[in-house]
Amino acid sequence: MFGLAALTPILVRDAYFLDSLVLILLWGALSAAWNVAGGYAGQVSIGHASFFGIGAYSAALTVTRFGGGPWFGMLVGIVISIGAGFIIGFLSNRLKGPYFALSTIAFSQVLLIGVSRWRGFTSGAEGIPVPFRPGFATLGLGHVGWVYMALAVALVCYAVEVYLERSRVGYQLAGVREDEDAAEALGIPTRRLKVGAVTLSAALTSVCGSLWAQYVGFVDPTYVFSVDLSVRFALNTIIGGMGTALGPFLGSILITSLETYLRATFAGVKAGFTGIYLIIYGTALILVVRFVPDGLAGIAARVRVRRAHA
Amino acid sequence: MDPARRLGPAQIGVLTQLVVATVLLGGIYALISVGLTLIFGIMRVVNFAHGEFLMLGMYLAFWAFVAFTADPYFVVVVAIPLFFVVGLVVYGLVMRGVIHASHNVQIFTTVGLSTVLQNVALVAWSGDFRYVRPWHLSTVLRAGSTIFNLTQVVASLIAVALTLTLVAFMKWTHAGRVMRATAQDRDAATLMGIDTDRVYRLTFAIGIAAVGAAGVLVAPLYSVYPTAGLQFVLLSYVVVVLGGLGDMLGAMIGSLIVAAVEVAGSYLFGAAWKEIFYFILFILVLGFRPAGLFGQRGAGTLGV
Repeated sequence: MFGLAALTPILVRDAYFLDSLVLILLWGALSAAWNVAGGYAGQVSIGHASFFGIGAYSAALTVTRFGGGPWFGMLVGIVISIGAGFIIGFLSNRLKGPYFALSTIAFSQVLLIGVSRWRGFTSGAEGIPVPFRPGFATLGLGHVGWVYMALAVALVCYAVEVYLERSRVGYQLAGVREDEDAAEALGIPTRRLKVGAVTLSAALTSVCGSLWAQYVGFVDPTYVFSVDLSVRFALNTIIGGMGTALGPFLGSILITSLETYLRATFAGVKAGFTGIYLIIYGTALILVVRFVPDGLAGIAARVRVRRAHA
Repeated sequence: MDPARRLGPAQIGVLTQLVVATVLLGGIYALISVGLTLIFGIMRVVNFAHGEFLMLGMYLAFWAFVAFTADPYFVVVVAIPLFFVVGLVVYGLVMRGVIHASHNVQIFTTVGLSTVLQNVALVAWSGDFRYVRPWHLSTVLRAGSTIFNLTQVVASLIAVALTLTLVAFMKWTHAGRVMRATAQDRDAATLMGIDTDRVYRLTFAIGIAAVGAAGVLVAPLYSVYPTAGLQFVLLSYVVVVLGGLGDMLGAMIGSLIVAAVEVAGSYLFGAAWKEIFYFILFILVLGFRPAGLFGQRGAGTLGV
């Protein structure tokens, strides 16, 4: 699948198509990053937009306020996200299930308010346009360049997931997710693992956020810290299959294509597109968790089992 | 909007003014939170769409005001049965199927519901900020050195009356006892012949009716827009966690505490940062007393 994505820019030159591909890969990578905490470690966050926003703002502010490069901004974002992820991860030791989800929402809301109000530094609710400067060092890439950049990040996130599926740490995390007390009794350092998973997930999300800021060229607090965005990472993963490596990418293909299709269909409707799209999106979320809680990957696994028995 | 400042400057008796502001605000917060704590305590479901029902209540007040120049105080009378029915329908369509599901399924179901409701409002009524301006909004009451706004006083009084009615209902009626029994022990209640599905349906409908009524009452005090619910959601979580899950009197005390923090914080540092105070309070409570200030039975089933 990733190979196919890598070949596409050579075969197809259509800018619209390549843009969709970049978005599919970026959303897939973000969902995979969410999956590290939500799927593998069982720490379901609805505030991951916090880390996305931290990454986006770190890159944008480094470039516009301090004249640094976006790569350095990305690094700044990673450092801040690791700090924030550590705090959120630490909270997950005290809080479970709905409480943890609540505190992550609260965290993203506070960042949203903080960034919106701190006008002098962040330009507030108006947002920051990120200048385009051609070149690899300034992340001013063409469509083809962005496909490979997004692909690289997607592969990194995918590799982390595969590692978590196959390694000792991954099995320990699964233990924490399924039965924390039992895992603790077996001598698994549950607390450290949870903090680690959330922090790693935060850092990966931040990297994608920095790239997104450069790709789109504009950051504003109401979008990058929105609950809808946090839900999107979760939705892709749930549709694809939580705790599976390919799941987030499958979900991203489906949801991102749906978005692109709806955007084209409802382009003429005034203020309608986002609303209609999100209504479908929320309905999909309700239906999927109810009827196919293990997602596309789960269906695939069941089909495979049935074939094997037949 | 800043309730502490809205009440006007008071050179003398600032403290009285702040206390009165706290009580008025606390009364409204209690009605907002009491439905959440009821659903939380009895169904063991965190309703992430709670704020959206509040938003729908605000829109009801707005449209009733535009169409019939109906006063929000009177619209409340219509809102309670209306939102009760909305609660029944939403329970049947959405909540019923996930009531025994895992936390994650419940979280995402209500989050999905919240997204749907917000955007239905966006598509139907656009993202514009709307205002409800009944005559009493500009009427000022004076008592000694303290000044209050009539809208807020009446809204608060109605909210407190409704909250107390609900508390009395839970305490003294048969239905209330059945609901409390289910909250204490779902399995034992079933063994006693209680139809838990009916209890959940009733609980959800009452909870939604309460928050819908609260939405109507607060509509003149805040601007009305599709994501208006968000600003109240965080504070109602804080209230519910402070008071203890499913503890209605606890929620009333929690509301006063949150209101006091907001009023004092706004007075000292400016209203712009009130959500930050909520958040700090939230983290402190969750970190140190996750089962509420007074401790709480059944907190374990929510994984605290």
